[in-house]
Amino acid sequence: MARAVRRVARGLLLLLATSLPGAPPALARDSLTIGLSQYPANFHPNIENMAAKAYIEGFALRPVTAYDAEWKLACLGCERLPSLENGDAVLEQTPDGKAGIRITWRLRKDWTWGDGTPVTAEDMRFAWEAGRAFETGFGPAEFYRSAYEFLSDDPHSFTLRFDKVTFDYASLGQFQPLPARIERPRWEAGRANYRTRSAYETETTNPALWNGPYRVGAVQPGAGVTLERNAHWSGQAPAFDRIQVRTVENTAALEAQLLAGQLDMVAGELGLPLEQAIALQRRTGDRFRFDFVPGLTYEHIDLMLDNPALADRRVRQALLLAADRAQIVARLYEGRQEVAAGGVHPRDVMYDPDTPKYPFDPARAAKLLDEAGWRTGTDGIRRNAAGEKLSLEFMTTAGNRAREQVQQILAGMWRAVGVEARIRNEPPRVFFSETVSKRRFTGLAMFAWVSSPENVPRSTFHSEEIPRAERNWSGQNYTGYSNAEVDRLIEQIPVTLDAAKRRPLWFELQRRIAEDLPVLPLWHRSDAYVGPRWLEGVTPTGHQNYSSLWVTEWRAP
Amino acid sequence: MMTRLRLGLLLLALLALAALIAPLAAGWIGKDPFAPDLFARYAPPSPDHPLGADELGRDLLTRLLYGARISLGVGLATALAASVLGTALGVLAAWRGGWVDTVLMRLADGLLALPALPILVLLAAMDPARLGLPRGEAVTDMLRIVTILVLFGWVGVARLTRAGALTILASDYVRAARALGVTEARLLWRHVLPGLVAPVAVASALAVAGAILAESVLSFLGLGIQPPTPSWGNMLANAQEAVFAAPLAALWPGLAILLAIAGCSLVADGLSRP
Amino acid sequence: MLRLAALRLPQIALTLALLSLAAWFAIGLMPGDPVSLALFSDPRLTPEDIARLRALHSLDQPMLERYLAWAGGVLRGEFGYSRLFAQPVPAVLWPALRSTLVLVGAAVALAAAAGVALGGLAALRPRAAPLVDAATLLAQAVPSFWLGILLIILFAVRLGWLPAGGAPEPGGSVLPFLVLPVATIAFGQMAAYARHAAAALTAELARPHITSARARGGSEARVLWRHALPNAAVPLLTLLALDAGGLVSGALVTETVFARPGMGKLLYDAVMGNDYNLALLALLLVALVTMLATLAADLAQRWLDPRLDA
Repeated sequence: MARAVRRVARGLLLLLATSLPGAPPALARDSLTIGLSQYPANFHPNIENMAAKAYIEGFALRPVTAYDAEWKLACLGCERLPSLENGDAVLEQTPDGKAGIRITWRLRKDWTWGDGTPVTAEDMRFAWEAGRAFETGFGPAEFYRSAYEFLSDDPHSFTLRFDKVTFDYASLGQFQPLPARIERPRWEAGRANYRTRSAYETETTNPALWNGPYRVGAVQPGAGVTLERNAHWSGQAPAFDRIQVRTVENTAALEAQLLAGQLDMVAGELGLPLEQAIALQRRTGDRFRFDFVPGLTYEHIDLMLDNPALADRRVRQALLLAADRAQIVARLYEGRQEVAAGGVHPRDVMYDPDTPKYPFDPARAAKLLDEAGWRTGTDGIRRNAAGEKLSLEFMTTAGNRAREQVQQILAGMWRAVGVEARIRNEPPRVFFSETVSKRRFTGLAMFAWVSSPENVPRSTFHSEEIPRAERNWSGQNYTGYSNAEVDRLIEQIPVTLDAAKRRPLWFELQRRIAEDLPVLPLWHRSDAYVGPRWLEGVTPTGHQNYSSLWVTEWRAP
Repeated sequence: MMTRLRLGLLLLALLALAALIAPLAAGWIGKDPFAPDLFARYAPPSPDHPLGADELGRDLLTRLLYGARISLGVGLATALAASVLGTALGVLAAWRGGWVDTVLMRLADGLLALPALPILVLLAAMDPARLGLPRGEAVTDMLRIVTILVLFGWVGVARLTRAGALTILASDYVRAARALGVTEARLLWRHVLPGLVAPVAVASALAVAGAILAESVLSFLGLGIQPPTPSWGNMLANAQEAVFAAPLAALWPGLAILLAIAGCSLVADGLSRP
Repeated sequence: MLRLAALRLPQIALTLALLSLAAWFAIGLMPGDPVSLALFSDPRLTPEDIARLRALHSLDQPMLERYLAWAGGVLRGEFGYSRLFAQPVPAVLWPALRSTLVLVGAAVALAAAAGVALGGLAALRPRAAPLVDAATLLAQAVPSFWLGILLIILFAVRLGWLPAGGAPEPGGSVLPFLVLPVATIAFGQMAAYARHAAAALTAELARPHITSARARGGSEARVLWRHALPNAAVPLLTLLALDAGGLVSGALVTETVFARPGMGKLLYDAVMGNDYNLALLALLLVALVTMLATLAADLAQRWLDPRLDA
């Protein structure tokens, strides 16, 4: 017996010993390893929208246009931004008499796919055709519906005609070129199966699919993606031969891998929760470089306006007044993110600094509740004349500890002014796809919106966007907010092309929403970028065009 | 080894007592286990907070006591329900034999093979109000977790009791009793069940331990007891995220789980090694 | 023994068929289909887009009809595509299954070896029994997600001996990446094996044929190895088989903490992401593994202990 034990012990030691040489290798600066908390489920750039995919493909694909770190629209794959002034955009009438616009984009002549063939108008044409054919199953068809005609007589420029005019007409958004030479035959062989037939899914490492500074060199399903230098990239050369993106979903494990030296950096876009990053900085001193960048992720609480208690504006205002958001930010996040006044980010050009704000004022909150007919009862909870308790169901995504913490603190703060918030959380899948999007919550629902610069909040505040069964539950106005003047502003803003004229409309919209408070603003989330000291030039953007799009600026001296 | 049994029972009794006096103790210490205090986040042990404070500055000692109610409640309810159901089905399978036996045992196989997650999510998504249960109450969460654990937990007990019952039913004195005209119900009640008490008690004691642990794993996946109600499992799972920042926050719930499981194991050992 | 296998295999097939039906409806009844999920993340979807997407995913068909279509496909060997990963289901499934079987297999082997060793120690040296008890107790009481992170902190962050998780570079050695996750699972599993091994061995050692073997002057280790262990192995085998399925799908927690792609994670994502084709096949595969393991254990029991083959 004793010998058996010894044998087992020796085996174990052997196992440990042989593994020693495999410990993290010394880092060579020709490669960079990035930790990400999500894995891209698929790779086709124009189908479905997913943060991890957008981050990874930022290294390997160029969009034609993108917002830069200053939140200004920039040309990545084009020579110049089309505008009415330079004549590339021309206002016109659609064949059926609507106001339309015709826009020409000029592609960079040195822009090529990873096999050396140039990116041409044909690639744009195919992307447009595939998007317009609805059996292909590209998600949002709005762009493709609006762009009703594609014209091109030159391989390096193309013109789209749109049946509506919006101020951000020069942006092509997610509409990216697809390598027509490879993808068109696959698409024509079976449009409905194109999603699974596409070379992006079947031969992801084919260089001809990628047109950025890097190409996808290897894929380890669920674990990571390796990006290799694109030999045919003609722009500024990136610093690293190879970038490895590794997925670690558990954030404690993500932190451990960073500390163990297996990861050089953790992406801010999909990385450590702010609180965890702050604690890490406190403990590790100057071992890593930390950037806390306010981004366009807007944490807020939707209020169900069908609930009679919440239909009263005074109650909504009282809830916000009684919530000491500044205290939460100071204690939980060490002041690393700002309390929001509304959905428009302070860095946005259209932000109104004079938007009504609701600093912590429990006395005023109590007064408003009294006025609304909610009097404090014997148990400390307010009741109305009919004796009903002011008790609201407060929901968020179960398992998201950052939100659960805030939720419990807020519930405590509201309790102090006599409002009971009953916490009931659900797994994200249930919460988002049923409870929120089918308006099944009865009180408060806390979650976040991710938006882009100067994003018109049509889907969240326009009265036509209230989800209803007969509209297949489309729309995101989950609160049920309806205000004719707000509707008018939301319709007016996109078609007002002159920024100076748009600004007063934006200010008015922000003021009205802040006064009505169908949604309680919490804060715009800050992203924590954690990287090595030796890495320079990573510029967080704070919006959906991620820092990876500017990888050629990254330097390791 | 009666000492093991006694020691285990004593340990469990102490924990149960802690659970019972939770509200009283909170009153004595003057702490509300549900009230966050942002100035006391991760406070170290002090006269004010005997065991320190958690990530929201709530007193760990009172939360631990309240957590005992949930964790022990889940454990005991699961063990009890799984034992009753498992014994009933196990004895039924052994007694009836034939296709009843086959169906029950294959059902057991199938259940063992079926991952619990989809069902958990399904249950998490059901509106408790429609079943006449209070919404947003810890009781509902407990019921959900116990249902799942019992659904999968009865299988082990059933296999155990089936084997035991088969042996007893094949024994000479059962045959003799049958020959004497003892009714089947009386036979099962007087002869078969008493012979199964010991193994079932052992299995139940271990099931309590298993359920306490399972609840912590569910909390780790975000499918456990929802905040603000504390359970040992969700306290431990919450501490996991802050393992680098405040490693001590995990110590106390971890220790509580250890003690409870130690108690159960001692009871099981005491019962199985007379 | 052949009779048992012949009897059991059709039963397994029937169970699998019923299980697939039950699982199909369980997933189908879960709130939130893929289109509702897309609905939330994309504000620009119009009612027409939604109807179109529903048709594309054939969500406008009745559930039973979709099940029959799926089952027919599977019987013809067409496993379809994973909705989530846009890949043929087997292409997603096999690597995950292999990774998990390696992980769980190594862990169970280690746990069984350590468990039997500890159990044997307790049976042979009663004075060591309290130590063994304490070790098994600890193993039983520490949740795997917690043990995993502790091991990572100790061996990867503080000592730097082993990677903190993830997968090796293509072509690199997998061994270092296996050590910590294997240890995590094995430690938890070891407790039950040690407990049962101790009980079974104690009982065996008291039996007459052991006493006679000892009287013939066999060494303790030899007595244990040759005489006691084969008989004591019967309940252990049952235990092992019962654990098989739970271990494969339950590797989720360990796989999450160590960022290892595998069956547990895949199954969780497939169920949460409403990926029918993938979830169903993964479920059935796990079920099949479990039931085959149970059958194998039953057969092995009869082989070890011919008295049972009555």
